[in-house]
Amino acid sequence: MTHYGFPPARAYRLNKCLFALKSDDAFRARFLKEPERVMAELGLSPDERAALAAQDRDRLVALGAHAYLVFMAQFRLRMETEGSAFEYF
Amino acid sequence: MPLVAAAACAHTPQLLVRPPTEDRDLVLRVHAAFARVKALLTKARPDAIAIIAGDHIEAFFLNAVPALGVFVGAECAGQFGRYAYRFPVHEPLARAILEEGIERGFDLLYSQEMPLDYAFFVPLRFTMPEPAPPIVPLFVNVYLPPQPTPRRCYQWGEALGQILAKRPERVALVASGGMSHFPGTDRYGSPDFDFDRRLLELLQQGRGRDMAQLTGADLDKAGNSELRTWLVLLGAVGDARAEVFCYEPSWHHGNAVLAWTP
Repeated sequence: MTHYGFPPARAYRLNKCLFALKSDDAFRARFLKEPERVMAELGLSPDERAALAAQDRDRLVALGAHAYLVFMAQFRLRMETEGSAFEYF
Repeated sequence: MPLVAAAACAHTPQLLVRPPTEDRDLVLRVHAAFARVKALLTKARPDAIAIIAGDHIEAFFLNAVPALGVFVGAECAGQFGRYAYRFPVHEPLARAILEEGIERGFDLLYSQEMPLDYAFFVPLRFTMPEPAPPIVPLFVNVYLPPQPTPRRCYQWGEALGQILAKRPERVALVASGGMSHFPGTDRYGSPDFDFDRRLLELLQQGRGRDMAQLTGADLDKAGNSELRTWLVLLGAVGDARAEVFCYEPSWHHGNAVLAWTP
């Protein structure tokens, strides 16, 4: 079993959403405000939306999300929402 | 001239931005090892730092997935949370690496516009010598399969070492990444520390060449996809023996800092 598999074409929009959550501050801020609207705009499927809303890592990966993108999207969301508890060097 | 110094550094984001889940003392011990690299680089007085990092799907998304690349712009910038950073690039050296690399049969991607990932930034933040020289970002695809094979990475490193040896600049080479970790997977809490320790023993014996025998599947299985950046460095340093400045296994990551001195 490969930990970092080929990202299937069917999951392109899901991966693009994770990429934006990881790398695009403005997108991440919008997502935190109106997640359903942002996911609908990107054309994510109901399964993809449910997995992303729940931040269900295993489900996201099963849907074709790239594991590293899942990790860093979640890390960046945590930096946004719990960042005051972090120590910055 | 030959490399004036070489080092491999962990770059896990928790070393820069520490969540409460991370052991603070461990983070500080890794920082102490980074400080030793900084001292070594300062003493080596490099004209440029060539830094090899796995691009974390930051410079490029699925619009383009290069295997090996060189940044040849005037400067390179990026952002990670509250950190915004910018580094001047040693353009003549970057161009020489690109042109000589292509000449030697490596079909390198090049870019003059590319966000610099934190994989480049973390080692530079903690190990940048004083005065700070310009950098040359070199990237390797580590996470999007099919990645370049370990053998190909090592061969690129051999060519890189030869290219740098012919240049007039004093160059330090830094590889960013590793060791075992499985971000975003159900193995996140159980890295393969035994693999890491066996590998560190080999590198201390100057047997980096053996690492080129590993397959991409071996690296993936051990949570060490990022060691492709080390393989490039190993090709350039040849059979020199590594000194391990630290190996600090956290609950999710084998944090290693190593150096090779000429």
